[in-house]
Amino acid sequence: MAGKKVFGLNQINPASHALEHKEAAKVAVFGLASDFGCQVQMTNIERELLDVLGMFELVYWQLVSSAPLPEDFDIAIIEGAVCTQEHVETLQWIRERAKVVIAIGACAVTGGIPGLARGNVDDFAKRVYGDVPASCGSMASPRPVSDIIAVDFTVPGCPIEPLELVAVLQRALMGGNPEAGGRSMCGDCRLNEDVCFFERGRICLGLVTRAGCGAPCIKLGYPCNGCRGLAASANLDSARDIVAGYGLDVADFDARLQIFNKAGQDSSRS
Amino acid sequence: MLFRVIDKNEVPSLVRGFAAHYEVVGPVERNGGFAFDEVGSDPSRLRVDYDTTLLPPKKYLFPPKAELFTYDTVNNEVKDIDIPVVPRVLFGLHSCDINAINRLDAVFMASDFPDPYYRAQREATMIVGIDCTPNDHCFCNLWGTDEVTQGYDLFLHDLGDRYLVSILSVTAAEILAVATSARPASPKDSIDFQEKARAFKNSFSSGPAVYELPILMDAFYNDGLWDELGDRCLSCTACSMVCPTCYCFNMVDKLDAGGRSGARLRLWDSCCSPSFALVAGGHNFRPTAASRVRNRFYHKFLGYLSKYGNTLCTGCGRCERACKAHISPRVVIQGLQHKAVQSDAAAQGEGGRS
Repeated sequence: MAGKKVFGLNQINPASHALEHKEAAKVAVFGLASDFGCQVQMTNIERELLDVLGMFELVYWQLVSSAPLPEDFDIAIIEGAVCTQEHVETLQWIRERAKVVIAIGACAVTGGIPGLARGNVDDFAKRVYGDVPASCGSMASPRPVSDIIAVDFTVPGCPIEPLELVAVLQRALMGGNPEAGGRSMCGDCRLNEDVCFFERGRICLGLVTRAGCGAPCIKLGYPCNGCRGLAASANLDSARDIVAGYGLDVADFDARLQIFNKAGQDSSRS
Repeated sequence: MLFRVIDKNEVPSLVRGFAAHYEVVGPVERNGGFAFDEVGSDPSRLRVDYDTTLLPPKKYLFPPKAELFTYDTVNNEVKDIDIPVVPRVLFGLHSCDINAINRLDAVFMASDFPDPYYRAQREATMIVGIDCTPNDHCFCNLWGTDEVTQGYDLFLHDLGDRYLVSILSVTAAEILAVATSARPASPKDSIDFQEKARAFKNSFSSGPAVYELPILMDAFYNDGLWDELGDRCLSCTACSMVCPTCYCFNMVDKLDAGGRSGARLRLWDSCCSPSFALVAGGHNFRPTAASRVRNRFYHKFLGYLSKYGNTLCTGCGRCERACKAHISPRVVIQGLQHKAVQSDAAAQGEGGRS
């Protein structure tokens, strides 16, 4: 069918583009409080990464380059939770410059694991450090990035699925909207022909967790731990009734949900 | 129609007979349940005694994820339209699932806009049905889909140590004749078959009788029943994923990493997904779970019926098992009937029906 014209990318209204195409969009990658696992994930897709980077100019990424932080960039990729006043200021500085902000990973999207210290950060700091060193900065209760600045796209998960980031970068570059979703995960497990953990007498957070990962953990024999955060449609009351209906501990279900949801929700979640 | 009789131990030989010409798919054990999978290379995996499968055989005609064509974004043109066809036998399907495929055929083959992908694979697919033993979630008897009269090539009726084989296609009849020592049915075979059929009809767990469902659906369109069900719905889409008759899909463009080429994908979708009725500009026609659950059952019980003359449910029971929130066709039917009784009682209290 070569030669047959179809409506492709060229037909998209240029006015809808978030970025101008005259020169390659400049991408900067920032890390707040995290273990850099999601940034490492980005390096794990070497083949795709080279292709993707052909569409962008990577101007700042401390993990792979010692180039200094530039004043000028178009797309900011932010990993990590907001845990200090310096983080807050960094985010504000980024938002003033970036046309598109992408939060990646559970820490940036929901507060993630650092978020467990939400509301109790002084106690946690004392437990970890004893005397808290000055280099920790002025610590603040952990928060997701979207608590501080507007976020255009999110890539949830702990760690992220890097190809999901590739798809988001393409949307950012070409002027697409964030993918609409909202559903929780059980449909993916049925699609995978996996048997439900509840039928095996075990709690699984897939009931309320944002779908989109394809449920790899369940395929490998582990119940969902909710790393993508709550689905926009999460029905916690119904989920608790279901847990109780299987004779399982609702308090245990709620405690497990805290691991990735204590600090907050992705306000832009879909 | 034609009947032949084969011994039960001839099934592997029949599978091998098909496997010489076709990919053969049948029920096998998986993850403590059953799933349809390729069995032609090893008929011993075939579990004709399965109750139900995790996913219905629909996945072989209407795949969960299908690449419809690829395109070149630099030159802005379609590169390749490939309609993959695998000559295949779906072996060991129950009546509910064959009836479900007949429902899909009406949509994808016999409609004003036949689907070339579905049609190509359907025309290359033969179906061998087999008797089942209903489990607690089965309710095909409510719809009359406990029997199937068309859409299969062979149907194996269980007579204990042998099968009475109904034959609807010449190709399948020839393979049956070559692969087995099929013999004409005797009067005793026919009598045994009738007794078996009677016993089968009585083997279902009791459920609600279905009467005047379309009228009830209309009468209770704005009833609180839908809010009660919506309050329970997890918006997880499990119901649609396991449904043998759901045929809604989404179209997605997937670009390669460099953005120079891409593929248009067709993916299963679900009307219970919160974004299903979300349109450009941000309006969502069905923003609540209650409105989505109601829509799902309206299409099943009313919308499809008015266009195609059948209910878009064959009582396979998969959604009843898959829905953790206990929302199912039987629950809806019972709920509507309960509402009807309540409303009749209220009308009587007011001195008669209005």
